[in-house]
Amino acid sequence: MTLDTLKENEKGIIESISDESLAIQLLAMGFILGEEVKVERIAPLNDPMIITSGDNYISIRKKDAKQIKINKT
Amino acid sequence: MSDISDTNIVLVGNPNTGKSTLFNLLTGLNQKVGNFPGVTVDKKTGYFKINDTKYNVIDLPGAYSLNPNSEDEKITRNYISDTTNNDLIVFVADVTNLKRNLLLCSQIIDEGKQVILGLNMMDLLYKNKQEINLEKLAASLGCPVIPINARLGKGINKLKESITNYQVNPTPFLTESNNNTIDDTMLRFKKIDTILNDCVTNKGENKSYLLTKKIDNILTHKIYGYLIFLILLFIIFQAIFSWSSYPMDLIESGFIWLSDFVATNLPEGVLNDLLVNGVIAGLGGIVIFVPQIAILFAFITILEDTGYMARVSFLMDRILRIFGLNGKSIIPLLSSTACAVPAIMSARTIGNPKERLITIMVAPLMSCSARIPVYTILIALIVSEDSTISIFNLQGLLVLSLYLLGFVTALLSALLMKWLIKAKQQSAFTLEMPIYRAPRWKNVGIEIVSKVKIFLFDAGKIIIAISILLWVLSSYGPGDTFEEIDKKYVQNEQQLDKDELSSKIASEKLEASYAGIIGKTIEPTIKPLGYDWKIGISLVTSFAAREVFVGTMATLYSVGDEDNTKSIRQKMMEAKNADGGKLYTTATTLSLLIFYVFAMQCMATLAIVYRETKSIKWPIIQIIYMGALAYIGSFVIYTIFS
Ligand SMILES: Nc1nc2c(ncn2[C@@H]2O[C@H](COP(=O)(O)OP(=O)(O)O)[C@@H](O)[C@H]2O)c(=O)[nH]1
Repeated sequence: MTLDTLKENEKGIIESISDESLAIQLLAMGFILGEEVKVERIAPLNDPMIITSGDNYISIRKKDAKQIKINKT
Repeated sequence: MSDISDTNIVLVGNPNTGKSTLFNLLTGLNQKVGNFPGVTVDKKTGYFKINDTKYNVIDLPGAYSLNPNSEDEKITRNYISDTTNNDLIVFVADVTNLKRNLLLCSQIIDEGKQVILGLNMMDLLYKNKQEINLEKLAASLGCPVIPINARLGKGINKLKESITNYQVNPTPFLTESNNNTIDDTMLRFKKIDTILNDCVTNKGENKSYLLTKKIDNILTHKIYGYLIFLILLFIIFQAIFSWSSYPMDLIESGFIWLSDFVATNLPEGVLNDLLVNGVIAGLGGIVIFVPQIAILFAFITILEDTGYMARVSFLMDRILRIFGLNGKSIIPLLSSTACAVPAIMSARTIGNPKERLITIMVAPLMSCSARIPVYTILIALIVSEDSTISIFNLQGLLVLSLYLLGFVTALLSALLMKWLIKAKQQSAFTLEMPIYRAPRWKNVGIEIVSKVKIFLFDAGKIIIAISILLWVLSSYGPGDTFEEIDKKYVQNEQQLDKDELSSKIASEKLEASYAGIIGKTIEPTIKPLGYDWKIGISLVTSFAAREVFVGTMATLYSVGDEDNTKSIRQKMMEAKNADGGKLYTTATTLSLLIFYVFAMQCMATLAIVYRETKSIKWPIIQIIYMGALAYIGSFVIYTIFS
């Protein structure tokens, strides 16, 4: 499943990120393969969403979140 | 760039780690802002001295890694990858988020650079009840590690000491090299994890985000979030348009006094005339906007400094994206209501090139403060000050509709460009949500001063130049036409009284001047919009800057009123068209208003668009599409109302 399908406060482990440049970008921002990611908040029009992993706290569009494969926990 | 004997210190780090705070601390007042060659990212440089040795400090834009994702990150990458310099890197890390910070640090070490690791925000580490073994960390990274608190200035002397005594032979961080960036990054994180497990004791937890998440529950709330943003917008506009009137009145009377003073104290003649009607008039027209620009940027800096702007981008992204814009476009669009020049510069933070370009292209459609004097004077011609619709002041309503018209047109134009402009590359919209912090008032002050400076110097240069040009164009004519006019009237001297005579001479001279010739030449083109050649002159001069309209009107109509007994408004009210009818009818005035909402009449903005897009193509397209909007819009309005 992909990250964009999670609801607020749901969590998952990042398995892979299909788009390479997005993967490089997210990794550098602290969203690391094999680590837990949580959907903190979804914007009123259902997009974008705020996600956290460790101490990293970012906003990401659904279209990009769709590239992130996760294992729901 | 600098003396060979000097040492260069380069500050590098993730965004929001306290680099600028450290930079200000190190350099104090010895700093200046320039540009990196070829690009438009601010380059902050400064210096400090220890025992007569000068250390130059360069503040590079914040970056997450050496794999750039925005214009800013590219600068940092290129600077680090440049092997021709031997600069000493001070890597500023947020100690509460070391894992992520160390990624870039490790990449820089592997570029073979000399690095000092400055661990910033030590106060927060103590608050979180975490401990860190500095010696171990330094040993594992192979570089000096200095704990600091940039906010309070703690550890700065140790850092300077480490800079002066630097002597380390860099050892690579990763021993195995990997060409795949993702694998390489994962390897780095793995090693960083091992090091951190060894050096950091996690007794406590990171509390920094707890409060921030609580605040976010309100500020990004589905209903309150928007409500709070709207209220804030209202307060900002209130401030820009009503609080600023007091200093603006002061500036205005100051310039009236100055021009009076110069006019009466300098000997009469060309120089006097040029100074009063060219230079001082032009200068006054710019300085008057300083209060509004200062207030706007005070608000914007506070909103950015506290971290609130990122939340606004989050709330607005979905809506703005429909129009090909970006959550971050809200900042340039908002700033454009003061002045498009700094606004367009602030679009640099938008990572996606296409969304950034569209933002730049439509921002000048937002009504900037230079349009206010034009709106004010024109609206007063057709609506009296005290007319109301129920409780609303009609003049106010009209101004508001012009603002909305500009805003809506900006969105629609953006939508059109979204279809027309091809995206070169896809780019993700990721935006860090910084923790909420109190604004740094000193930073707000610095930001205001630097934005006002850009406005005064970049825009000011052009406006002054055009004011002088305008003065020349309206004071001289081809050949000896002016002398002919003088001669003609010498014979009539007896019949007319002196005032009437000089007014006749002046208006005839204006008509014969170069400006008059230009106005007459374009008259057929603008006749369908309801304009005559005098308005034509104003349109031409307004191309330099919109507010020049008022000055031009003053010049054009002061002819025939040497004692300046009437206000410009009265003079325009009495102005006649060729058939002897009223010139500023409702149709003509509305048409002119629409023209000023849409037309790209600002040299300074065009210059900045050229600088930011590095292509002459975009400013030209801007002139054409905004010009077409203006012409068609004015034509339609004039036809409807006449
Ligand atoms: N608590 C704490 N805050 C700091 C420290 N250094 C900087 N800050 C704050 O961190 C925020 C970001 O700092 P800034 O210098 O703008 O970071 P930059 O984006 O890396 O240039 C500001 O609100 C600073 O006041 C520190 O040592 N302790």
